[in-house]
Amino acid sequence: MTDPAAGLVLGVPARAILWLITLAAFGLFGWRVAAYLRVLARARPEPRWDRWPERIRRFVIEVLAQRKLLEEPLIGVAHLLIFWAFVFYATGFFWNLARGLLPWLAVPYADQAYAMALALEIFGVIGLAALAVAAYRRYILRPDRLEQSRDAGIILGLISVVLLSSLLGAGAAVLSGEAHGWRPVASAVAVPLAAAGIGGTAASGVVTAMWWVHMVTVLGFLVYLPYSKHLHLLASPFGVLFGALEPPMPAASEGASRLEEFTWRQLFSGLACAECGRCDRACPALNSGYPLSPKMLMHHVKELIMASLAPGGNGHALLREKVKPEEVWACMTCLACIARCPVGNEHVPVLIELRRKLMAEGELEAHLQEALTNLSRYGNSFGQSARNRARWAQGLDFKIKDARKEQVAWLWFTGDYAAYDPRLQPITRAAARLLARAGVDFGILYEAEQNSGNDARRAGEEGLFESLMEKNLAAFGKARFEKIVTTDPHSLHALRHEYRWSNGRPQVVHHTELLWELIRTNRLSPVKRLNGKVTYHDPCYLGRYNGIYEAPRRILHALGLELVEMPRHGSRSYCCGAGGGRIWMEDVAGIQERPAESRVREAAATGATMLVVACPKDWVMFQDARKTAGLEDKLVIKEIVELVEEATQP
Amino acid sequence: MNLLVLMRMVPDVVEELEIAPDGKSLDREALRLIASESDDHALEEALLLKERYGGKVTVVVPDAPEVGDLLYTAAAKGADRVIRLRGIKTGLGVAALARSCAAALQATPGLLPVNLILTGTQAIEDLDGLVAPLVAHHLGLPYIGVVTAVTEIADGKASVVKEFQAGYRGEFQIALPAVLGVQSAEKPPRYVPVAKVRAAMKSVKIEECEVPQPTPAALEGIEVLAMSKPEVAGRAAMLEGSPEEVAGKLCDLLAERGLL
Repeated sequence: MTDPAAGLVLGVPARAILWLITLAAFGLFGWRVAAYLRVLARARPEPRWDRWPERIRRFVIEVLAQRKLLEEPLIGVAHLLIFWAFVFYATGFFWNLARGLLPWLAVPYADQAYAMALALEIFGVIGLAALAVAAYRRYILRPDRLEQSRDAGIILGLISVVLLSSLLGAGAAVLSGEAHGWRPVASAVAVPLAAAGIGGTAASGVVTAMWWVHMVTVLGFLVYLPYSKHLHLLASPFGVLFGALEPPMPAASEGASRLEEFTWRQLFSGLACAECGRCDRACPALNSGYPLSPKMLMHHVKELIMASLAPGGNGHALLREKVKPEEVWACMTCLACIARCPVGNEHVPVLIELRRKLMAEGELEAHLQEALTNLSRYGNSFGQSARNRARWAQGLDFKIKDARKEQVAWLWFTGDYAAYDPRLQPITRAAARLLARAGVDFGILYEAEQNSGNDARRAGEEGLFESLMEKNLAAFGKARFEKIVTTDPHSLHALRHEYRWSNGRPQVVHHTELLWELIRTNRLSPVKRLNGKVTYHDPCYLGRYNGIYEAPRRILHALGLELVEMPRHGSRSYCCGAGGGRIWMEDVAGIQERPAESRVREAAATGATMLVVACPKDWVMFQDARKTAGLEDKLVIKEIVELVEEATQP
Repeated sequence: MNLLVLMRMVPDVVEELEIAPDGKSLDREALRLIASESDDHALEEALLLKERYGGKVTVVVPDAPEVGDLLYTAAAKGADRVIRLRGIKTGLGVAALARSCAAALQATPGLLPVNLILTGTQAIEDLDGLVAPLVAHHLGLPYIGVVTAVTEIADGKASVVKEFQAGYRGEFQIALPAVLGVQSAEKPPRYVPVAKVRAAMKSVKIEECEVPQPTPAALEGIEVLAMSKPEVAGRAAMLEGSPEEVAGKLCDLLAERGLL
């Protein structure tokens, strides 16, 4: 067996050269990585050290099995194969390096151990095929929003050299008699090498040369890696491991714009970004023509880090210098970017930090300002008296219990839209009648209920959220109830995940969950079978934020309706455009197609004649959109409550 | 530049207003008070002037329920001193209110003189816009109302824009010190996040001043006889049907009323 690190190169011992370039490469690599770590150390803390079993589970699914990448199957499979080829090759590399540096180790080189050599050559071929697919997609298919950087080309080339050098070395080893056993790939590579007249000592020379090409390329790769977009290869496993296990919301802050104002995890997203564009392809703001690109946002975060690393660089501010206020306000906080991101990046928290900054400077548009002022004074965004909150109930032929005065099993948190929007009040009354008919013991808070603060918080008004939360918690504290049901997914999320309950959080459910339970247990029985083809829109705050996908679908089936899914459903659902406070803001110039219009067209294209919703804001948005999209004759919008009432009315 | 903003709390008409059992006043128990809208503009204009010329902004408000919110919000927006005037009865007529406010300003040590007093040109309780000019009268200062901008302050004079009907505007020069009745500030009143107001509650001290002597509830010779709530007209009708039908009905209606 030959030792490729033995002997002399230009009169210098080869092993000394190997030591020299190894130390140089690792030194440069370590120096750069340490610089990144120092930047992260300057950032604000953000605890992400809890719930390890869950984190490890997520690591296995997202890193080792690459679930989100596989959502786009062509590149997903190719990337998974490149990833695993990389894992094997990295193992082989470190093995070879250790053996080359430390000749007294009593192990063979990786390519001289039969099983490893076989694995390497098989993964080499798979890896090359996958690289060809990646190149075909990048340069021929050219997917929308994929960043076309020179970086990507260099990396594809480098990986190809790494794999090819290994395979050529293996082929030459067959000819020099150094390869043993069944080596299908090496044997195949050996054929053209033999035809070129390479054999014996020449073949042995090729083995050594290829070994060096391979090792030097990988070491070069190591140095190049932390300067390129392929930093994601190093950063993304940690991004996933320290990712948010709940929909992320930055802790109270005065906002962030400069490097040290962000948390380390927010900055880390910039390092992990692979510029793949999945977030952009999913973003309802971008796809409607709003001036926001979640991918570019991540890129700007990366620039913020790079600028602080540059010699004499003091960094810059993200806000206005890199990200315009219009971009910051465009976000609907629908979470599609985060749900799609394979490296666990968190775009929305960065935008919320920027919004807080704008809020502190008082730079917000007039409509939003009016809504927030109303929330702060009247507890609702409609600017109406709190005393009118339960006025919708006046049209009922029974009185709803006041949970502040008598014990109830279920406290119903209606939310602003259901209570104040005159178009939605008939639906709110229908929900009340359903609960009463099913014998549910329920009550409301009357004028003591305030807006949950969910959207104010996402608009960057953290103090207002705190104040609304305190008022609601005080009202809950005075009421007597066992569980909470809400007809508003936005309130659901705030009550479930963001309120600081002092005596333990009560169970908080969405009305579709309660209605399904009532139907399942025959407390509400459909007496009339509804017919027709319907489609269902998953509200962002019900689906992506809270994972409630099944209850509304089961209800629709139970009512006898045929459910056809839109292409974007479940966790891929497309936002109606109202979230994150956008419902209070004006459309901006340059909008091509509002998210809600895109959505009603998608619904109509399924062949369904009805779009069923489970969120009051969706109902409002889609009612408007079906008119502006010219679908008034083709599509009706119904809240699921309306259908349940229709089917169960005796 | 020393700027004084005189603000007041008025009934919030978002809440339903009730007439008190005596039939002559508002039921103060049932109503909620809110900062008068044009006073908010006066504060904004003062803050803009402070940003432009430097100096101090002092906000003075007759005591009322929830007046703390107004003063802390003003401080959070950038007011340097916030003062509550005690001893002014609520529900005063405008003349008495103006006389009390002027007396309190004069009696409070260290408050006057200032370069400019800004206040709302009107309030929902003062549609004739009398408080501002009467305060100026009692202080012996020149007054100009319905101001929409202060364009320049130099050499002891201010140039201001005053609005007339139908968008006509005039630019006036007024000698300082003076009182301005502000209709609207140059920019909409700024938003101040709740966190900043809460921080002001912790760090800012509201000063209190006593009005020197009790003032009569109204000028002699005037007495409230009765107040009444608005009458609901209920004459609106919705026209329904297709656009053509609605247009037809509309034409018929207009013809019926002799408008065509």
